[in-house]
Amino acid sequence: MSYTLRGRAESRLAALLPVLLAACVLAGVLHRWWPVELVALMAAVGLVLDLEVWHRLLPYQPAWATVPLAAVELGVLMAIVYGFGLHAPLWPAVALFGAGWLSSVVLAQAGLPLLRLGYAEDGGELGRLGGVAAVAVVLALAGSAATYVVRLPPVVNLSTGVHQGPLVITQREVLQGEPGAVVRGGIVVAHDDVEIKNVTVVGGANGITVDGIRGTVLDGVTVQGARLDGIHVRDAGVIVRNCTVDMLGNRLGQGIDISFNMGKGMSMVEGCTIVGGMVGITTHSSMTEIVRNRVSRTTGQAISVAEMSMGSAMDNQIRGALGVGLNCDDQSMCMFAHNTVVGTRPDRASGDPTRRGIGVLASFYSEADLWENRLAANPVPAGAVTSSTLKTTSRTDW
Amino acid sequence: MSAQVAVVGSGLASFTAYQTLRRALEPGEIAVFGTDADPAAAWRVRAAAIRQRQMRSESDGHCLATTFPGLAFGSVLRRRSLRPLLESGLDRYHPTVEEFLSHVERLRERSRWDESLVLRRVERVRAVDGGFDLEGDRFRHVLLAPGHPGLNVPEELRDDPRVVHSYEPHDYAPTVTVVGAGLAAATEWLNALAAGAEVVSVRRRETVRRPLNVPRHYFSRRGLAGFHRLPPRERVERLRTLTAPSYPAGDHWDEPLERPKAEGRFRVEASLNGSAQVICATGFLRGYRHDPLLARLVAEHDLETAEEWLVLDPDSTVPGLSDASRTLALAGAPAQWAFPAADTLAGARYVAHRFLRRIESCRTR
Repeated sequence: MSYTLRGRAESRLAALLPVLLAACVLAGVLHRWWPVELVALMAAVGLVLDLEVWHRLLPYQPAWATVPLAAVELGVLMAIVYGFGLHAPLWPAVALFGAGWLSSVVLAQAGLPLLRLGYAEDGGELGRLGGVAAVAVVLALAGSAATYVVRLPPVVNLSTGVHQGPLVITQREVLQGEPGAVVRGGIVVAHDDVEIKNVTVVGGANGITVDGIRGTVLDGVTVQGARLDGIHVRDAGVIVRNCTVDMLGNRLGQGIDISFNMGKGMSMVEGCTIVGGMVGITTHSSMTEIVRNRVSRTTGQAISVAEMSMGSAMDNQIRGALGVGLNCDDQSMCMFAHNTVVGTRPDRASGDPTRRGIGVLASFYSEADLWENRLAANPVPAGAVTSSTLKTTSRTDW
Repeated sequence: MSAQVAVVGSGLASFTAYQTLRRALEPGEIAVFGTDADPAAAWRVRAAAIRQRQMRSESDGHCLATTFPGLAFGSVLRRRSLRPLLESGLDRYHPTVEEFLSHVERLRERSRWDESLVLRRVERVRAVDGGFDLEGDRFRHVLLAPGHPGLNVPEELRDDPRVVHSYEPHDYAPTVTVVGAGLAAATEWLNALAAGAEVVSVRRRETVRRPLNVPRHYFSRRGLAGFHRLPPRERVERLRTLTAPSYPAGDHWDEPLERPKAEGRFRVEASLNGSAQVICATGFLRGYRHDPLLARLVAEHDLETAEEWLVLDPDSTVPGLSDASRTLALAGAPAQWAFPAADTLAGARYVAHRFLRRIESCRTR
């Protein structure tokens, strides 16, 4: 096929239309925007390559050339996706691209020639249909963008000063704390898709409670003086980043406890600083990534992946934990990589041999994969008890 | 006659145009004037004469109105193998002559070609008010597909008793000279060598190797837009270059020549020698002057020409004789001014699509 420039663009947009519609449906089902973002990006990458590269390079494009061309376009697309941090999961994204490619091949070889007499000799130009396809793509993308903007949660500013809690959030919103905004008595998140940014929470049974909902983001929150847990998550999907949790003086509470949320997909704790408490970060029956956190002076374990959890702890810094640093417990499957565990102290008072200052511990039918962890000044660098295994592996993905 | 649309000629170009016309018209609305009911009659004889087994064209070298489904697709269904489709993706699928002829036969039946056929030679087309007069019958829209005007034998060889044209039935003498440099010539080299002859190739120019008759981008608007913008003199030059004889590259053309070359059974010479047989693989007479119908049309209507070509609009209609209410268009080799590969099936389809567009946009059709 010898495409004209216009023919290339029109054929591409026409072929993209069914994929874009499918992506809109998918976005609605998943409550995620990445399918639409990805198709918009596919259109942009394809059109730029059409204009700047393919048209100049290929006066005639044999059918087989769609394979290497698609490979190049996929490469550029994924580079942009990862380069700009668009949160599109790899294989679904590749599958969506593959569907788009297949649609373009089938349409170019069969659909469009059947639809328009002279499709080939017109160089892929579609006449009025081309214009309609372009308008439809633009409308679909514009509609998606408008929907995205309209659906953005309202921003509620929390002014500087102390606000008496507990604060219960019962609608989608972004709670944006101004510098010095403090809630005394805790926050309870009781609605999906709530984001809390730059708020300090003082006191409360739990500092922040998230229970039975989806899409919570805690960004830059500070929690101090909670009676039980700093951040307490049950049956909910959360992203916690850049938080500070001060649990000093609380012998039984957890800094961050994310439990029983297997059905809510992956959760994440990233870039937090936790001091004190019994366990710094703990998960139970959960799939959580624990990344780039600093945990110190805990009295039970610094980080614990427990009770049939599947989780990874990577690039964390653990200092001065009493008894155990990194813990994989109770039939869990753990990946511990690139962590630093320093100065774990033996808990002689407990009389428990599994708490004699172990850097990394696997216990009770658990499997922990280790890779390039830095374990220093721990009485026992690593150990496995009660039918558990520690294994060194370079595979740091799941 | 109730038909408003006439096609003059009953060969493959006409047949291909008919398939496109049938998308909008019933057989009773189209009159096809020709001397043979079988649209492949003339082509079949020529293909048999050069013992052609495979088409030069690819999957879309068929008579249907749209490129899809191509012949490769049909072949997949018949052979129950994906190989033809894969070969088509690599531009390496060439239907066999047998496959192509069966396709024509099936289509002839399915499109009810015979219902439109008027077995009569039309020798004169005259523009009249609101249409065209075809020796007593009037039509608003006429497509002329008269075919090639005859076989071309170089002047100096016309009286040579050893001469046979490649497209005439023939056998091979022990020593054969093949004149020409195109697909028919290359086919004849291989045929004669396979028959045990000693072969001499005489040609005026070096052979051009390309997969199709003209470079591929001249089959679409990509190449045609620039071609249509050329001023007449340059367009004539371009046409001469584009329509120069050529045949595809590939081992199946070259390998059978290697050993005979080494043995001296195949050689290239500048002029005729004493071979017992001279095969003129020199194609067809070219130019409207060799076709009585076109020559008369040009003379009677004072139509613009450029050397051997009749000047046409990009949609292959005759300027001055086509307007909002009537259409006169050319298909096949005489339409090269609009589409350099007009003598191919893709060329016939190109003209047919535009002809139908004209008919459909005519309110009084």
